[in-house]
Amino acid sequence: MNGRTRLVAIGMHLILTVWTIFVLAPIGLMLISAFKSQAEIFTKPLSLPGSLNLSAFQRAWNIGIGSFMLNSLLVTVLSVAVIITTSGLAAYVLARSEAKVMKWLYILIIASFAIPVQSVLVPLYQMVSGGHMLNSQLGIVLPYAAFGIPFTTVLFYAFFLEFPRELEEAARLDGCSRLQIFFRIVVPLSGPVVASAAIFQAVFNWNEFLLALMMLTEKSVRTLPVGIYGLTTQYSSDWPAIMAALTIATLPLLILFILAQRHFVRSLAGLGK
Amino acid sequence: MLMMPRMRALVAAATLATLAGGSALAQDAVTIKMWTLDNTGYPEFIAQAAEEFKKTHPNVTIEHQTFPGDPYKTGLQVALVGSDGPDVFFNWSGDDAKRLAKDGLALDLTSYADAPGAFGTTVGEGYLDAFRYDGKLYGVPADAVSKYVFYNTAYFAEHKLEVPKTLAELGTLCKAIRTIDPNTVPMPLGNKTRWKAIHWMTMLNERELGVDGTAADYDLSRPADELYTDAGYAKAFQDLLDLQDAGCFEEAPNATDYTVADTMFSSQASPMEFCGSWCISGFETAGFTDVGFFRLPVVDGGRGDAGANFLVPEGFQVSAKTAHPQEAVDWLSFLVSDDQAAKFVEYTKFMPSNPAKIDTVEGVSPLFKELAADVGTFTQGVNVLDVLLDAAVSEAYLNATVEVLNRTMTPDQAVEAIRKVALEAQAKAAS
Amino acid sequence: MSQSPSRMLDRWMSAGMLAPALLLVGVLVLIPSVLAVVGSFYEFGITSQNWVFVGLSNYARAMADPVFWTALKNNIFLIIGSIITQVGLGTLFAALLDRGVRRGNTFYRTIIFMPVIISSIAVAFVWILIFDPNVGPLNAVIKGIGLTPPRLGWLGDPNISLYMLLVIAAWQNVGFQMVLVLAGLQAIPKELYEAAALDGAKGWRAFVHITLPGIRNVLMVGTLICIIGGLKVFDLVFVTTGGGPANATQVIGSYTYLQAFTLGNMGYADALSVILLVVALGFGWLQLTLSRRG
Repeated sequence: MNGRTRLVAIGMHLILTVWTIFVLAPIGLMLISAFKSQAEIFTKPLSLPGSLNLSAFQRAWNIGIGSFMLNSLLVTVLSVAVIITTSGLAAYVLARSEAKVMKWLYILIIASFAIPVQSVLVPLYQMVSGGHMLNSQLGIVLPYAAFGIPFTTVLFYAFFLEFPRELEEAARLDGCSRLQIFFRIVVPLSGPVVASAAIFQAVFNWNEFLLALMMLTEKSVRTLPVGIYGLTTQYSSDWPAIMAALTIATLPLLILFILAQRHFVRSLAGLGK
Repeated sequence: MLMMPRMRALVAAATLATLAGGSALAQDAVTIKMWTLDNTGYPEFIAQAAEEFKKTHPNVTIEHQTFPGDPYKTGLQVALVGSDGPDVFFNWSGDDAKRLAKDGLALDLTSYADAPGAFGTTVGEGYLDAFRYDGKLYGVPADAVSKYVFYNTAYFAEHKLEVPKTLAELGTLCKAIRTIDPNTVPMPLGNKTRWKAIHWMTMLNERELGVDGTAADYDLSRPADELYTDAGYAKAFQDLLDLQDAGCFEEAPNATDYTVADTMFSSQASPMEFCGSWCISGFETAGFTDVGFFRLPVVDGGRGDAGANFLVPEGFQVSAKTAHPQEAVDWLSFLVSDDQAAKFVEYTKFMPSNPAKIDTVEGVSPLFKELAADVGTFTQGVNVLDVLLDAAVSEAYLNATVEVLNRTMTPDQAVEAIRKVALEAQAKAAS
Repeated sequence: MSQSPSRMLDRWMSAGMLAPALLLVGVLVLIPSVLAVVGSFYEFGITSQNWVFVGLSNYARAMADPVFWTALKNNIFLIIGSIITQVGLGTLFAALLDRGVRRGNTFYRTIIFMPVIISSIAVAFVWILIFDPNVGPLNAVIKGIGLTPPRLGWLGDPNISLYMLLVIAAWQNVGFQMVLVLAGLQAIPKELYEAAALDGAKGWRAFVHITLPGIRNVLMVGTLICIIGGLKVFDLVFVTTGGGPANATQVIGSYTYLQAFTLGNMGYADALSVILLVVALGFGWLQLTLSRRG
């Protein structure tokens, strides 16, 4: 290794290290602030907590972070399951059919991908409200699913187009129906694309704020983002408790991610194909 | 008419009892869904009251849900139109409450008010007026919030500072504090969410124009060519700027969260803060007891009245869609009854609309009692701009105030911007 | 003879497989879109039941509304800015991790990706604290090294706060773009580079002729995600600046929310939504034609 390549290597490490510190600093601040008192946060922003004070975690937990997380988990799992199943079925039919109407349906799906939630916020709200589905997990799972389907369908469609048809032909000759082929041949071989689509939608729905803010107003059904937002009240904000709540909400995910990051990142790679 | 729901309940209960072979079931089970803000002490207060209420209304269950401030207004409006709304809900008196009445979503409570023990007999007229529109009552006032300049008595004594008598003296006081230590922020503002400065403007407008001078502009009843043309409005903005120039406020007040401002005072980093009556519980939590207070001083040459002060009545409204109006009103009347109003003070440290037993309340600080006594001496209540004004005008006022503090608008430009929106709102209301 | 009934069955089955997805999208995405278009021709409030037909006046109002143009401009600023920062930095880091850095590869990748899985509301709260003008650590550091922080605050001065929003968005999303590009890079067969090296194409030329075409699709997906994200942005603005000071950092999403739910102008909010919809469809169409060409 000569001097120049070593310099380049150091430079590259430097770039990555700077960004790593930039990423870690806010997370560190969140952790440290959770142990401080409100006065400490505001009067000594850069110092460590005076004592190891766990009361903020107690307060955050009492506000119901646990149930917010459970709600988020439920809503996320349900909506991702619906998205993956319905998009998979639809994308397969679209990718295998020659009919002209299917091309138009596909274009319709792509067009609906471009529709942002805000564009339909008001009528969507009125529909969900009219359907007596405000403050119900199902009421939010269905819109989440509907807005996740277009992107996932497009993703699956591309994957199925490249899927080797010989296997399907063989199964068809054995008398399998389209549905049977889909479940017996296609699904078992679609692991990577399913995983990447699921992760993408899970991250998105876990974090979704606007619809949840509008539709989940009751404390018992609130998801994490709305629950956290609710920690600031009309006249006061308990910052240590907010930071503790963020820590409680974030840490399990981060640990899970660090443990499973190899699979996680590899699955996500399916998105780029 | 009034007896109908009860009659039906009795008939239903009787039928049910017969069907069930004469079991002890006396009345239909009724659930009253109640929405309030997430204020400290509220859940505990409602919980004990619901327990107590069961003794006289064994069939009524209270389902209490709390919400954070900002999403509350939104959530409430949409819920009242939708299907899953509350039976009774918290609201500020002002434009929002009025609109709900106008749109037929809030129940007219006039006929319930004067029944024996009902809220009309325990709550004063002044409070009731806050929820009266077109001569009808649309709410049960529960409490009011006021606003004072709180100050650190120990700091004032140490530096031999005196309570100012005019707004100009307040500015001088700020300068004196900056002389003692240039890094001390005399009275942090914390206007990131915009309502702190609008509270200032509420009082500064009163100090310049007086309640009577502003009323016709606020309710848009003044002729179009005179609407918001009084020079006092621009002068009130200038008063705010003068205080800023005197060094009263922190750096970048529009980017500072109100909690930061509150904490600067309660952690004794700042010696003053213009804060609500609700702030007292925050001082107590922080263990800060050397607190005194004074009303925002009058302006030399202003048309304001030293006896008038910030007062926003808050209370509960009943949804027009409720299936149990009688039980809902019974419940609200119960909340403002003498005993419960005392409990309310105990749990929430808010000024109750029914002060009959306030002196009996234990565990309330002398500061709170002094403040409550002072509220009783107001000659006039000044309702806050952002709940009193038409929504569009209020939004314009909030933004103009931010821009004035940022120096991106002069006071005259700010008033002009408000006047423009007010004229539109006036034209819209007339059409 | 035996073909025909099974064909029929197949057709019914296909319809059945399509139905759930189409039903959900149709009922919850397309019908509300149509309703938004209808609503945009009326004037009505959340709590008022009477709708007044006003024709195109909501659109005329948008065209004359300076805040609408500010919001649209901010959306476009955020889209372009996030493409540059997120796709740009993501590609840089991916390239460094793929070919440059040997040691600490997994470590860097894990850390840089971490913010992706943190809720954006959580992110916003932490950044509010960091950017606070009086007690925030950023100002403490800036003053510590003898510089002057911005007079109106990091999130209070519209000329600065939009860039700060970009910083927050980059903090959160660069890891996602990086992993995306990384996957694309790793899918390029090594033999291509070897063959090119034999032809004398190395370094920069190999990058232009092999790497870039290899990750073209991935960059397209990444850009599309930035565009959609930039159009839809709401949480970030709503929680950090609230659209202020005086609407200077408003985006269409937050402005629609303000008009609909704070000011009660539902019809006008619908018109704003429809405009956003048209812009979004425009980008979608652009993406479709670009990817067809490729």
